[in-house]
Amino acid sequence: MSTLAIRATTHRKLIGAAFAVPALALFGLFAIYPMVRVFYISLFDYDLTSSPRWVGFNNYEFLWHSEQFHQSLEATGFYLLFTYVPAVLLALLLAIGLDTKLPGSGFIRLLYFAPVAMSWVAISVIWRLLFQPDGLLNRVLGTHTTWLTSTKSAEWALVIASVWKETGLFLILFLAGLSKIPRDLREAASLDGAGPLRSFRYVTLPLLKPMTAVVCVMAVIRGCQSFSPQVVLTGGSFNTEVVNLYVYKTAFENARMGRASAVAVLLFFALLMVTMLQLRLFRSDDR
Amino acid sequence: MKKPVVKRLSATLAVCVVGLAMAACSSGSKSGGGKVHLTFWTHTHPPMIALNKQLITEYEKANPNVTIDYQQIPNTDFNTKMLTSLSNGSGPDVINMDDVAIRGDYIPKNLLAPMDSAAQATAEGRYLPHTLDGATSADGKLYGLPTEFNATAFAINKAAFTKAGLDPAKPPKAWDDVAADGQKLIAAGQGGFNFLYLSAGQYTQQLQILLNETGGRIVSDDGKKATIAEPAGVQALELWNTLINKDKLGDPHSSTRDATDPFADFEAGKTSMTIMYPWGVGQIKQDNPATFKNMEVVPLPQVDPSKPSGRWYGYYMAVNKASKHQSEAWKFINYVTSQNQRWLTDVNFIQPVKDWASSPAAAKVPFLPVWQQAYQQGRFDEVAPHWAEVQDAIKTAIESTVLDGKSADSTLNQASDTINQSLAE
Amino acid sequence: MTRVLSRPAEVAAPPVEPARRRRRRVTVRAVVLYGLLLPGGLLFASVFVYAVLSALKPADEVLSTHWWPSRFVWSNFKLPFSTVPFARYYVNSVVVGVVVTLLNVVTCTLAGYSFSKFAYRGRTLLYLIVLATMMIPLEVIYVPLYALVFKLHWVNTFSGLIVPAGTSAFGILLMRQSIDGLPDEILDAARLDGAGETRILWRIVAPMMTAPMAALALVVFMTTWDSHLWPLLVGNDDNHKTLPVGLAAMQADNAGATGIPMLMAAAVMAVLPTLLLFCLLQKRFVEGITMSADIR
Repeated sequence: MSTLAIRATTHRKLIGAAFAVPALALFGLFAIYPMVRVFYISLFDYDLTSSPRWVGFNNYEFLWHSEQFHQSLEATGFYLLFTYVPAVLLALLLAIGLDTKLPGSGFIRLLYFAPVAMSWVAISVIWRLLFQPDGLLNRVLGTHTTWLTSTKSAEWALVIASVWKETGLFLILFLAGLSKIPRDLREAASLDGAGPLRSFRYVTLPLLKPMTAVVCVMAVIRGCQSFSPQVVLTGGSFNTEVVNLYVYKTAFENARMGRASAVAVLLFFALLMVTMLQLRLFRSDDR
Repeated sequence: MKKPVVKRLSATLAVCVVGLAMAACSSGSKSGGGKVHLTFWTHTHPPMIALNKQLITEYEKANPNVTIDYQQIPNTDFNTKMLTSLSNGSGPDVINMDDVAIRGDYIPKNLLAPMDSAAQATAEGRYLPHTLDGATSADGKLYGLPTEFNATAFAINKAAFTKAGLDPAKPPKAWDDVAADGQKLIAAGQGGFNFLYLSAGQYTQQLQILLNETGGRIVSDDGKKATIAEPAGVQALELWNTLINKDKLGDPHSSTRDATDPFADFEAGKTSMTIMYPWGVGQIKQDNPATFKNMEVVPLPQVDPSKPSGRWYGYYMAVNKASKHQSEAWKFINYVTSQNQRWLTDVNFIQPVKDWASSPAAAKVPFLPVWQQAYQQGRFDEVAPHWAEVQDAIKTAIESTVLDGKSADSTLNQASDTINQSLAE
Repeated sequence: MTRVLSRPAEVAAPPVEPARRRRRRVTVRAVVLYGLLLPGGLLFASVFVYAVLSALKPADEVLSTHWWPSRFVWSNFKLPFSTVPFARYYVNSVVVGVVVTLLNVVTCTLAGYSFSKFAYRGRTLLYLIVLATMMIPLEVIYVPLYALVFKLHWVNTFSGLIVPAGTSAFGILLMRQSIDGLPDEILDAARLDGAGETRILWRIVAPMMTAPMAALALVVFMTTWDSHLWPLLVGNDDNHKTLPVGLAAMQADNAGATGIPMLMAAAVMAVLPTLLLFCLLQKRFVEGITMSADIR
């Protein structure tokens, strides 16, 4: 390659790198620095109002033996699995159906999005009414379940309310992903004799991979970091104290910042591994 | 097509930047040059907030060099915000907090400024004995003055009682009576009785009421060991469970879980009897005059009526140790807590000065004799290190027994283990 | 200078679908849409509608399970304004939401493009670090972050509310994944034509990325709008408190049942900007992208 061409490439790389600087600067200061502090604090006993006291790996040892911590992991796993798998699948199906310009489709999309827009604090009032033993949900289903006040059903209540609320978010992402797949490609496939199912499997799905990756990564992270619905619907009682709620309580109610940080660090490594795995799985091989 | 979008975008951006600049310039006010700026944080209780605001206006007028910034923070967020601010050495100058937080957390962690001994002597001369214990450290230093002081009583719905063939002038004296009356009320289609199932703190307070009566304790005197699983403790929880699940006086699954309104069920007639505090009378009077008209406040039912007890709790105004204006802060606190009469009439907050019961405003306090009696027989709640964790364990135990059907023995044993773990750290 | 980039040869002229088959496809689609998705959507939105109806109910009907209010109490919508500085909280939330969203769209698109289409040393590592920041729950981050913001004297300021949220790992992930799908040939062709990098970004990449950018804007706006913990910590006076903090205070202030219509009225008003943004942006989600791009 000529010197001019090489310099052009280097010059280009520099500009490319420069594009990332604004985000990286913000990250460095407001995300990375606090994150490093969290890792550091996990080795201390820190109650926020006295000086941190060095305890080494004590916090991690405590968590290893803590029944409450293990419970929270179980609760999180349950919540993640039963909320986000249905939510993502449902969102995908909805996106395919709603990816159209037929009249009224915009309104219908709005209907599925509306739950996402309302905050948990406000909508929990309504959901609590629905979940009452004599509330609408029981009436419609013909049951007498004490949804929010028993270990048998509280987790399911949260799942129901959360699927309702989270699906719309993934719907938007899938719609955005689908919109970039050229119509002509899909139409061309159907002309080659491919039925809608085949065209979906061999044309749409592969092209949707990048967005699916985003959705799956987001789903796992949101599932593991969820705690608003738990706070407003059950307060963490009846086996619904998910790990992030445990973190919040440990940090702010029990003033054990060191232990909360240790949980955060463990969660960090777990999520990092899972995310790397997911991104690798979804990597487009046609680069 | 691009140009208008770009124009609109840059216009929006410009507006935002200008707005930002304006906002940044106008925020915050600082003390300096003889001017004193105090910040004052309290929880949210509308009648109290209204009177606080009035008193602040009056104080600022009488002291023109002082400005007071009054912020109200919901109970659920209070601790979070306080801790985070205090962790940076900032935080309000004056706070109003409950005695469990003060004695259990803020004094042991050295976050409050004690009164000087002269001021303390004056205060002790002014208030009824032991009522200042809620803000006193283990070594006898006083850290706050009370804005409200509550003893525990009971409220019944007179109309419901009459409809059930019961005489409202003969309220239940023992929990057995509560059970009997409750069943008659339910048979007549009226509400029965229920405890509240709200925050961990409230679970613990209610159990504490019963524990005071059975002679049980959550932790040992030295705060080192859990004693909740001992017989007197189990008796208290079993009493709760029996009343609700055996005598079926109320349905814990459909009782309100809205922490902002502890009296929702009583006001809606879902219960005809409930535990009551002085501030509750004020709140019901304001929110639901119909209920207030039908309400009668009576002494708290007892396990053993010959040995009555109850719990005390109070809110105290205290000064942040990191405050740069401590003497001014104390001056402000003295002013607010000197207005006993107005606290009584406007807010129904009883401040335990020595002659409060014979003051003119007290005559207008509804159900005065009952409250006077209640004040004779109470004590402050237990506290220990990491009390929030202890309360959480108690909440879990009560929920497992009353709502999930497990035996009081097993749930309290589990709570005991958890509590011991917390106290050991 | 006007140039039209040519389409890649393979998709030069798509064959035309026979009209009858197209009509059948459209009918199936319509049946699914109106027969299945519409009722489903109504079911989905019913909880939301219930919330709106609760806002119009008189106070004593709120806890009853009757669906429809006996009368419409429109004055409930005035209550939030007289109880707390609702209008001010609203304005604060709008300012914070709009600025944070704009910052995110800009920084994340830039960074996503950078990580996707430029092969400089260390970019994979940087990208991984960025993603890694998503893995820690925000609540623990907030304590050291608050300490930092405190040192910058940004407590109780809009800077404190806005700048730390100015970019997001989610946004970078989204934009990078989306830009990955952009064929390199288009960019190289533009470079051969002599276009500068910034021009390529502005004229080619961005217009093709309106769908993910719209999704990003919507998600970021929504998250910022609903964010409660950070504004609680940073906002110390009414001039800097945002809507969720105000809503929580409103809920705490007002005795349960009588306060519910007011709370729901406030919540309904709080939901409007997000819904509005959705309506404005959603066209972008279903726009088919054609393979040609114009430089005008």
